[in-house]
Amino acid sequence: MSNLSDAKEKLKKFIAETSFKSIDKIQDDSMIFRDGIFDSMGLMTLITFLEENFQIQVQDTELIEENFESVNAIFRYLEKKSSN
Amino acid sequence: MGNKTKRPFTRNILIFDNIKSECDKIVSKLRDDVYHRLHRTGGVIGISGGIDSSVTLALSVLAFGSEKLLGVMLPEKDSSSDSAKYAQKLADKFGVKAITENITAALQGFNCYTRRDEAVKKVFPEYNPSNHKMKIGIRNSGLLTNLPPVFSVTIIDENGNEQTKRLPVNEFRQIEAASNFKQRCRMSMLYYHAECLHYAVIGTPNKHEVEQGFFVKYGDGGADVMPIGHLYKTQVYQLANFLGIPQEIIDRTPTTDTYSAEQTQEEFFYQLPFQQMDLLWYAYENNYLPEEIAPVMEIKAEHIKSIFTNFNRKFKTTEYLRMAPIRD
Repeated sequence: MSNLSDAKEKLKKFIAETSFKSIDKIQDDSMIFRDGIFDSMGLMTLITFLEENFQIQVQDTELIEENFESVNAIFRYLEKKSSN
Repeated sequence: MGNKTKRPFTRNILIFDNIKSECDKIVSKLRDDVYHRLHRTGGVIGISGGIDSSVTLALSVLAFGSEKLLGVMLPEKDSSSDSAKYAQKLADKFGVKAITENITAALQGFNCYTRRDEAVKKVFPEYNPSNHKMKIGIRNSGLLTNLPPVFSVTIIDENGNEQTKRLPVNEFRQIEAASNFKQRCRMSMLYYHAECLHYAVIGTPNKHEVEQGFFVKYGDGGADVMPIGHLYKTQVYQLANFLGIPQEIIDRTPTTDTYSAEQTQEEFFYQLPFQQMDLLWYAYENNYLPEEIAPVMEIKAEHIKSIFTNFNRKFKTTEYLRMAPIRD
């Protein structure tokens, strides 16, 4: 996965644009769902974004907090997917 | 959210001690709302043979008399035939005139089915609406985690073989938007009859539907008054028994009656049986602590905390549906 290096910035930009939040409010450890930044539609939009931008397929069994709760969690998930 | 005096939390906390008095209050307010606030002379109700519209109709009979009510059955090609059967039975029992307005042609005019099926085919290219049924549902239970649920589409062939896939966001939105034509067509037809008769449209959503956003804005959410909009489902059932709603209607499992494949409301939206949902929602909106209600509900406090977080998100993210047009 060649574009993983700038993944965090891309992710933050996407989250900020989709949720109408200022990008400096989106920290690596911000709890995206627990803090109400994203709802159901946000999660569905995020999945589509990841699949289209990082050439991965998100499996239903992977839809857990450990993989999606924050920018850090999503980054670790992308790393794991790229090493498979 | 409510800030009432807290009572000790029990499993019976939502049961009305004096059902007749509660019923009289609702009826009196409904009469006053329609006659003196809305200045209309009776009511039009969309009747589906479900518990909510049945209780609303029975309350309206007490408020206005059966001669000042019109029940309208609004089937379309995906509707269950049971809906009309039970709705007619209800109207007969309460002596209310009931008419049928089939909205299939209107929906075809909007390309409701074509637009919906186009989105389903993007997920399942083999989907053929003439020999498949379809429904959408929740893929992952969002209640015990802090991740919200995502939606899936299921197709079922003539032999009963089911396939389910998670919906990409654009296809989900298209299916939902197309399906919402159904509730909006029904609303238009109810207002047609209401305006012809100088009646009010009596809406049928209950408290959960209103507060959790399980309604279509300007669809079933489009009405002049909602007499059971403040009632938990437990209370709706208590009233149904008190008002003599036919037992077959009381015993029916609440469904969405929106997609060609049958689907319960619990499966599509609530993810909890209504008895649990009612008590947990009551506890949530009256600020009971998870630790306080865990022993009564026999659910771990940490799970109750997650459920409350989900309730909070549902209430907040559906605010848009309850908002009136912004004017200033």
